[in-house]
Amino acid sequence: MERHIKTKGLVNLAILLVVTLGAFAAAHYSGSVAGLTATALLGLGFLVALISFFQMGLELREREERLELDELARKTPGSALFKETDAERFPARRALQQFEKYFSPALAVLLLLLQAGGVWGLWNWTARASEGPLTRPFVCMALFGLLAVILFFRGVYSASTARIERQRLMRPGAGYLLLGSAACVAVVVALGIDGYNAPQEAEAHELQKAGFYIARGMLVVLGLIGVENLITLVLEIYRPRTPGQEQRLMYESRLVGLLCQPGGLFSTIAQVLDYQFGFKVSEKRFYQFLERNLAWIILAQLGLLLFSSCFVVIEPGEQAILERFGRLVPNRALLEPGIHIKWFWPIDKVYRHRTERIQSVVVGAAHEEEEDEHEHGLGVMQWTVAHKKGELLLLVASRPDAGETNESGQAEMAVPASLVSVHIPVQFQITNLLQWATNYSNPAELLEKLASREVVRYLVNVDFDWLLTSGRQQAAELLRERIQKRADERNMGARIVFVGIQGVHPAVAVAAEYEKVVSAEQEKEGKILEAEGYSAKTVLMGRAEASKRLAEAEAFAARKTNEARAQALLFTSQAKAFASAPGVYAMREYLDVFQKGSAQARKYVLMVTNTQDVFQLNLEDKLRPGIEDVPLPAPKTK
Amino acid sequence: MNRKRLNLIVGILLMLIFVVMLFCFQVRQTEVAIVTTFGKVTRTVTEPGFNLKWPWPIQSVHFLDRRIQSFESPMTEISTTDGRYLLFSVYAGWSIANPRRFFENFGGSVREATRRLEEMIDSRKNATVGRHPFSHFVSTDEKELKFAEVEQELLEQVNQDAGKIYGIEVKFLGIKRIALPGGAGGVTESVFSRMRKERQKLMQKLQAEGESRASEIRSAADRDREKLLAEADAKAKNLMGEAYQQAAQVLETFQKNPDLAILILKLEALEKALNERTTLILDERTPPFDLLKNVSTNRNY
Repeated sequence: MERHIKTKGLVNLAILLVVTLGAFAAAHYSGSVAGLTATALLGLGFLVALISFFQMGLELREREERLELDELARKTPGSALFKETDAERFPARRALQQFEKYFSPALAVLLLLLQAGGVWGLWNWTARASEGPLTRPFVCMALFGLLAVILFFRGVYSASTARIERQRLMRPGAGYLLLGSAACVAVVVALGIDGYNAPQEAEAHELQKAGFYIARGMLVVLGLIGVENLITLVLEIYRPRTPGQEQRLMYESRLVGLLCQPGGLFSTIAQVLDYQFGFKVSEKRFYQFLERNLAWIILAQLGLLLFSSCFVVIEPGEQAILERFGRLVPNRALLEPGIHIKWFWPIDKVYRHRTERIQSVVVGAAHEEEEDEHEHGLGVMQWTVAHKKGELLLLVASRPDAGETNESGQAEMAVPASLVSVHIPVQFQITNLLQWATNYSNPAELLEKLASREVVRYLVNVDFDWLLTSGRQQAAELLRERIQKRADERNMGARIVFVGIQGVHPAVAVAAEYEKVVSAEQEKEGKILEAEGYSAKTVLMGRAEASKRLAEAEAFAARKTNEARAQALLFTSQAKAFASAPGVYAMREYLDVFQKGSAQARKYVLMVTNTQDVFQLNLEDKLRPGIEDVPLPAPKTK
Repeated sequence: MNRKRLNLIVGILLMLIFVVMLFCFQVRQTEVAIVTTFGKVTRTVTEPGFNLKWPWPIQSVHFLDRRIQSFESPMTEISTTDGRYLLFSVYAGWSIANPRRFFENFGGSVREATRRLEEMIDSRKNATVGRHPFSHFVSTDEKELKFAEVEQELLEQVNQDAGKIYGIEVKFLGIKRIALPGGAGGVTESVFSRMRKERQKLMQKLQAEGESRASEIRSAADRDREKLLAEADAKAKNLMGEAYQQAAQVLETFQKNPDLAILILKLEALEKALNERTTLILDERTPPFDLLKNVSTNRNY
């Protein structure tokens, strides 16, 4: 039974070694930062399993030694020729005690140092390494998945064995097998996410974003195990020791051990699997099945992998490059959408790209900020408000008349240039995948540089006011043509679909002044319109006044002539009357006029004969009427 | 099949794969491979395809990307010949011209090579740009701009040494960005200040144009009004003159009987002269009061 347990420990050790090496090879090949961090965890697990395997050997030897001596003592009681010390009589026990007393704490300290060093060293390394590209992430994902399955089943089996057969030395290895399985699953997730966001995308910047976070998460777990190790070490120094009491394994982590507990995550998963299959797949039967048919399974797995690599499906909107031993396959170098048959990996390899998708690079502010804008929904974009972090200011030539002139009349300016804020999206499609993928290591980045160059070149020679107003469409087309020409010269295999210069405007610092000019233009128009209104009113009123005066003159003329005519006619009639009785006529007319004219006049008639009298008449009007002025009512008539 | 035999076959198969992986390597068309034997470069594979090698640690294969790499230099401040300062950055596309030398110089690290090339380009950039005036980079006059010439000049300068020293060929080089030194009190702030003044000038010009034009329109309107009124007055006077002229014809009729005419005119004048507030002091000789002359009164004196 004890030897059986030792064999199981050896198997665990071998599995951890093979898996660690396999994980390291896969992670190193793919450049996966999460994979390499998981390898560190697996390596630690291997070390713990090695220590526990060594202790298993010591305990086994000690037990055999005790049994042998008991047997000897039972057969030949008192046969000892010399009195021996315990150390001489029980060398294996002595070795075990020495191990538990000295080596076990020393190894625990070594583990602590490795854990601390690992966290410290890998923490900064993950940030740097995550910027590297991934090589064949999906192949590595499959491999890590396989490793996770192997570790899981072996870990569950070992944990059950340790629990059922009360083999405490099996626990540390089982715990790390399960921890390794969890780490491999995390790597699969990281590779899946990062592989999906492969750097074929023009705008991809962070190559292993998920890998970075998962690696950091694993390092946090490693750090916690290290802290727990330190606490255990300190407590173990002050723990009272009782003879015969079972020693606690100082290199064993309780945190990792939680994974092996009946209520733990992995035990729960194993129970779910057992329930689904109807028998103990996670324990004896499945393991025995695996042991019997492992060769077949590996063979089938290999065959399946190779067979599946003979087919490739190119999605709509994609194209792929087919290489055979690294060379382009004649007549089949480019694979169009559809299903294709090829030689199995690694003879034929396919590199797929999304060629029909319209991609975009931005000259100016960073692309993520543009995405943020889209996320924030519709907003008001004003020149006076910075809508991009790190506004890109480019130079625009200023016209000489904008500056001072010197004595010779030539234009002279301190710096004959203005600054404009630029955010220009350049949209493109891949038209020649072979050129795009094989001529340049990062063609999208290069396209952004070429576009930037053309924008800079264009702006240093353009009339900015024209560009801001009526020239936008023309400028966008011209820029598109220039960028296209430059891309063609470089054999980039891309078609420039669109160049948008809506993001070209005066720098935020001076934008308000530009808006004031627009206000001044409006003000100017307003004043002119107001004057035009005054003009319209004045001219029309003048015209009306002129018409009025004319009409009055006409009326006057008509009245005058008619009056004259009437007077002439009247005079002729009067002349006849006057001729017939001059005195009477004259008197009649006089009296008539006098009667009418003096009817309302105040009249004083002096009836005196004595002309020498002097009369004084007070002709002043009374300001206030007196009582004598009150009119008397008319007398009543009977 | 016997289980042991199957295990053996699988083992041999796996071993075979492992051995093949140890002895073979592929070179992609986008790569060149450097084969080192005990750390020394012994072979350069530039053609894509399948190749053999001794297993590690005897021989190792290092793959280099033969495609054109691009990079962008940081913005650095440079003075032009006419004493103006510019921030300048360039981009370059380079590829490995001599794989062996490249590997020996940089250990196959593209990042390291880019850093070294960047240093070289930075130095040459300062020297090249410093030989040109500001107007070669920014000008409204197309003929003055020397973008392409400066780029070509810089490319030739860099390629003189890059190939020989680094095993790199710079395929192309371009001006990525030109800016002005910023910061508080820097050229950028001065340019902003000038741009503001320029706009203010334009603003004032527009305002003055508006006022001027408005004044013109008002004056023209006033002029038109006065002209219209003057014309109307002239016409009116003409009409009135004609009317007077026509009215004067009545005098000829009056002249036929001047006594009557004078009497009528006097009577008209008298009628107009008399009104409500007139006070008349008349004596008894004034008709019709002369009728009262012989009437006895109640006077006692």
